[in-house]
This record gives sequence, structure tokens and C-alpha cells, in this order.
Amino acid sequence: MSKAWQSWPVAALDPVRRLRVMAAAIPGAVYAEKVIQAPFDTVWSVAGDLEHELPHLLTDVRSMRIVHREGDRLEALARGRLGQRARFDVVLRPGWCWMQSRFLLGGLAATPEAGGTGTRFAFMGGLRVPGVRLLHPLLETVGESLGTQVIRRLEQRVQRR
Amino acid sequence: MNPEPAGPGLADPVDVAELVRGAQRGDSMAMHELLDLLAPYVGRLCGPIALQDGPDATQEALIAIFRGIRQLREPAALYGWARAIAVRESVRMAQRASRSLPVELAEVPAPGDPQLTADVRDVLERLSPQHRAVLVLRELEGLDERTVSAMLEVSTGTVKSRLHRARRSFQKAWER
Repeated sequence: MSKAWQSWPVAALDPVRRLRVMAAAIPGAVYAEKVIQAPFDTVWSVAGDLEHELPHLLTDVRSMRIVHREGDRLEALARGRLGQRARFDVVLRPGWCWMQSRFLLGGLAATPEAGGTGTRFAFMGGLRVPGVRLLHPLLETVGESLGTQVIRRLEQRVQRR
Repeated sequence: MNPEPAGPGLADPVDVAELVRGAQRGDSMAMHELLDLLAPYVGRLCGPIALQDGPDATQEALIAIFRGIRQLREPAALYGWARAIAVRESVRMAQRASRSLPVELAEVPAPGDPQLTADVRDVLERLSPQHRAVLVLRELEGLDERTVSAMLEVSTGTVKSRLHRARRSFQKAWER
């Protein structure tokens, strides 16, 4: 292969597009995205701070504690408002967070908006239960509201920074 | 941002097969790993074919790949299967964008030209999406003309003529 090939255009999959792929491929996933009028670093300093900020974004979560970290792979323990506990496998990178527990999965993604104004932020949530495909219409309705609320709370947290 | 590991050739086939089976079972962490492997590969195919629509083509190709992953019976066929989807999606997207009118090249960049990076893109933009697809499959992926013609659903004669034109356009760039 000649050196000329090295200069051929390569298409990159930014974190928000990556989350769209995951959301489209996972049955019953709920998804929402919005451009937030704040720099990427500010947005991600909130969204990527799982221990301190996730309980503010997801009202069902009372606490989130990272118990192990190796590179971008984390293990986290979440406790819910009703006392329920869940262990999550997490991948955390700049602009990207993916989480999976036994019954739940979720994703956060942020990408600087083209043109330099704001940050595109996306949220995805889903259930890992049998028959989730059948629940899709219901989850879609509930999830749209949930996704919108998560993003609204994130905007409020970003504004405080 | 979001660094991605290497694509085909550098991943252990046994590991890839395990990831495919995990993704087929609905394990999102396996999907995540597989996406890390496939996204750079699909991006290298969609980039030169879909050009400015490359990121959208990559997204759509990967959606089609992961939605259809349960139908992939043989994990070893993953990359060939993903390649076919990537090429189809990027040609479709480039055609839909109506930016594909081929224009005769007036001049090919000279070897050593510091603007060559931009010029490679310029050469590609003057080819139709189908020409670019032939070029990518033959030269980047090393497929034979019969395989390319089957993938693109055109005759081998068409593949040869498209390749001839594309190669002629690129001749000087390849000589670098």
C-alpha cells in the first residue's frame, strides 16, 4: 500500500453518534439528545463525574460509588432511593460513559457541536429483562420524558459551574 | 476524544467470535467492545466513499450491523459482512446527498505536493460514489473484480472500467 492511502479521508464516529448506534441496536432503549449552550469541558465535567453528579441527574439513584478503576474500565456500586443496590460495569472516557448492571444499562455522550457553539449531549437508558421488546411502545413514551428530564437536570448542573 | 482501538487484523479471532456471540445474546458490554473494533474499520470504508457524509454513513452502517448481528451465523465472517453493509450505506448516502456528479479531472496533484492531503480528497470528490466504492474495495480491501462486482451488483466489465478511470485519476498520488 502506498503512502497516498494514509491521507485518505477516514470517517470518525463521535461519542453522540456512537450512542445513537447503541440506542438503535438495543431493544426498548430510550434515547434523547440536545445541544447544551456550554463548552464541552464544562458539560463533561458534570456528566462524567459519576459519583457526585449521577444522583442529581437520575433521581432514582441515591449514591454512586466507584470501587475499582483500571484505565477506562470502572466498577461502580449504585444504591437506589428505596435501598436497592446494583453493581455496574462502566466504561468512562472523555465524552463517553457506558454502564451495565444485571438489569439496567445506560449511556451518556457529549460532543462539541459543529460550528463551535455548545455541546451536543445524549442520554440513553434501557432494561435488560426478557420481553423488553414487547414493552417498547410504553418505554418509548416514558423514556422520552425521562431522557428530557435528565438533560434538563444536566443543564441546570452545568449552569452552576 | 474517544480513542478507538485497532480494527481487523489486530484483534484475536477467538475474542472477536466471543464478542459477536455476546452481542447476539444482548450483552451490551460485548456490543461496546465490538463497536470499538468495528467503528475504525467501517470509518475507513465510509470515509473515502461518502466523503463529507462519512460520519453519518458510518453511523447508519453500524446501526444496520448491530441490528442485524443476530443473523450473522459465522462470527469469522464479521468483517466481510460489515464491509458489505458499510459500502452499501456509504454509496446510498453519498447518492442521496446529490453531491456525486463526477467531473472530469483537469489535473492530478504532483508527487511531493504539500497539498496532497487535500488533493486526494479533491480527486475522490470528482469521482462518483460507485467509482469510489470500486476503488476502495479493490485497492484498500484487496478484493478481486468478481467479488467487487457481486457486492456492488454490477458486471465485472463495469468494475474494470470504473477502476481504470479511478486509477488513472489517482496514478500520480499512488506513485508517491
